[in-house]
Amino acid sequence: MKREVAWRVFAGEYNDSTSVVKGEGEKVPSYVITPLGAKINRLFVVGVLTDVESLAEGNELIRAHVSDPTGIFTLYSGQFQADVTSALLNIETPAFVAFVGKTRIFEPEEGVVYLSVRPEKVYEVEPEARDRWIIETCKRTIERIEAIKECSNLSPPNAYDLRKLGYSRNLSEGAVKAVKFYKNIDIEKYKSMIVEALRYLTPEEKELQKEDIREAKETKESEEADEIEAKVLDIIKEIEGEDGALWDNIIERCAEEGLDKISVEEAITSLLDKGLVYEPVLGTIKTT
Amino acid sequence: MKDDISSYVDEIISAIGEDSGVDREKLEKEFKKFLEYGVPPDQAKKTLVERFSSKDKSRKMLNEIKPNESSINLLCRVITINSREVRIRGEPRKIFYGLLGDESGIAPFTSWNSSLQVEKGNVIEIKNAYTREWQDNIQVNFGERTVVKKVDDDKLPEISYQPKLCKIADLHSTFGPVEVQVKILDISKREIETGGETRTVFSGVLGDETGKAQFTAWHDFKIKKNDVIRISGGYARFWKGIPQLVFDERAEVNKIDRNIEVSSEKIPLHKLVERKGGLDVVVEGTVIEIRDGSGYIERCPECKRPIQDGECRIHGKVKGIPDLRAKIVVDDGTAGIGAIIGRELTEKLIEKNLDECKKLASNNGGDAVMELLQKNLLTKLISLRGNAIGDEYGTTLIAREAEIVKQNLKEEVANLLQRVEEL
Repeated sequence: MKREVAWRVFAGEYNDSTSVVKGEGEKVPSYVITPLGAKINRLFVVGVLTDVESLAEGNELIRAHVSDPTGIFTLYSGQFQADVTSALLNIETPAFVAFVGKTRIFEPEEGVVYLSVRPEKVYEVEPEARDRWIIETCKRTIERIEAIKECSNLSPPNAYDLRKLGYSRNLSEGAVKAVKFYKNIDIEKYKSMIVEALRYLTPEEKELQKEDIREAKETKESEEADEIEAKVLDIIKEIEGEDGALWDNIIERCAEEGLDKISVEEAITSLLDKGLVYEPVLGTIKTT
Repeated sequence: MKDDISSYVDEIISAIGEDSGVDREKLEKEFKKFLEYGVPPDQAKKTLVERFSSKDKSRKMLNEIKPNESSINLLCRVITINSREVRIRGEPRKIFYGLLGDESGIAPFTSWNSSLQVEKGNVIEIKNAYTREWQDNIQVNFGERTVVKKVDDDKLPEISYQPKLCKIADLHSTFGPVEVQVKILDISKREIETGGETRTVFSGVLGDETGKAQFTAWHDFKIKKNDVIRISGGYARFWKGIPQLVFDERAEVNKIDRNIEVSSEKIPLHKLVERKGGLDVVVEGTVIEIRDGSGYIERCPECKRPIQDGECRIHGKVKGIPDLRAKIVVDDGTAGIGAIIGRELTEKLIEKNLDECKKLASNNGGDAVMELLQKNLLTKLISLRGNAIGDEYGTTLIAREAEIVKQNLKEEVANLLQRVEEL
């Protein structure tokens, strides 16, 4: 089994694909042919992991979404990729991630194709990784547009002549299939996709996005903090009695509820600030 | 006159073949028409024979053929022919291979038919041959249905066939003898035994502006290191994708008076993988995976294999020798290769030396060095130089140079916008 190339393709192009080449028999890979002739069995993507959702008990199946400047990749991971599944569950969203994955094709009826990805490897990465990915994906997409144009000019469209022009065997075969399958390929649409993606790399845009992610992270963090505070407050009420709750007892009780010392102390400090609790004697907390 | 027409038509039919399916009445009508216009009967006959026999059986020229064509007809001169024993489905069989030529060009051929009886120089008419792509070239195949008939030698002009002038980077897509202009980078002499006799062979590395190849010379051409020479009549061979130029006393070798700046070939990954490998090539791609077995390892002092928990699979408990390496997957979106990066290069890439890595591994566990590799390499654009060899699992490059490529984002964006504009 030869290594399959990991294609660079934007979600917008990937999700537009409706042409499938099914592998017959065992160990023969299946491919999806995108409108620009990428013949995809594997792909490499860097984007923003926006959410991870468990679809079955015990995380036997999870679904995640990774967004790029043009659309969203849907990922499914199950118990057979336990390390990938747990990696996904452990990344706090939103986050920049890189993944290598295999195409997953669901064809409920002829001509209806739902595409997703089964990730093989997932890593949390720095924002610069996404910039590099956009650059590389734009390059490959431009190449595919050129190949599709050349291919349409050949009569008949054939992979041999395309390869002579310097395109890879995979792309040459894919472009021939795409030209035959997709009647009118909307090249302009993919050109604007590239321009749109490149806009993400201009300094102003980048600042905006970083803000977005930071804000989203902060909102998320403060939501979590609110939850912890509410819990801590309930526990204090529960054990305070007449004279208030001892600091150490609160920590102990909260630990039983699965809250770590640092977040509990933060929560108490915050509750003190808000005036929801006070400290009648040093080391004792009472609700107001 | 009527009988005359009938006998002409008979002649036409026998000329184009009984089984051609041409309607007799139609032929007769056409023939009469020619006579009405005053065309001499012999001329009319010739025209009709040509017209009808050319319908589905037109002769193709060698420069028009494409891969995977079937039932093609050719008229060619046999330029070279050799035989070889192969096993097909366990059965031994003799096949023939060589080169065919016509007025338009040259193509390699293989005959799977053991009873082919043609010789070098013969002109042959080939019916129902088929074509396949083979090492970037189109090959003519003679199969079970193919009919090969010897015809008069003067049906085709003599085809002068000279070794093809080519660059080292093009060796992968040539067939037949080649002519190259190269510099000898390394040469050594050795004696080998073949069939009971000792022969002296010279082998080494040569190169031109486009790349490098190994060579084997079965004759003493008195060539020395740094000589710049022309070799005419060599043949390209490949071992796991590494090109080798083989030549013997039939080749013409002479010194030329110019310098050649030899450089490594910079090659897109898909091209390298399609060729399987290459000698001293430069590639660029994104690191998409760091493989298990990367990072800080200990090797068996006996066999140099990596050991687990101080134990070698072959030699048992041993005192391991520390080492560092990175096994990575590099992919540029057109193809992917494996690459192995040794200690010194890995040290440079992660900016930590072996001792520091050893400390890190013993303090924080073996994964600590792996994490360092991931942080420094994963998703980065890397440039590698080295020899690449290919097998059924793909291509692997053994790095001699490895460097993270710095990109200028602003420039890249501007270039790409320009390119989209021009689409």
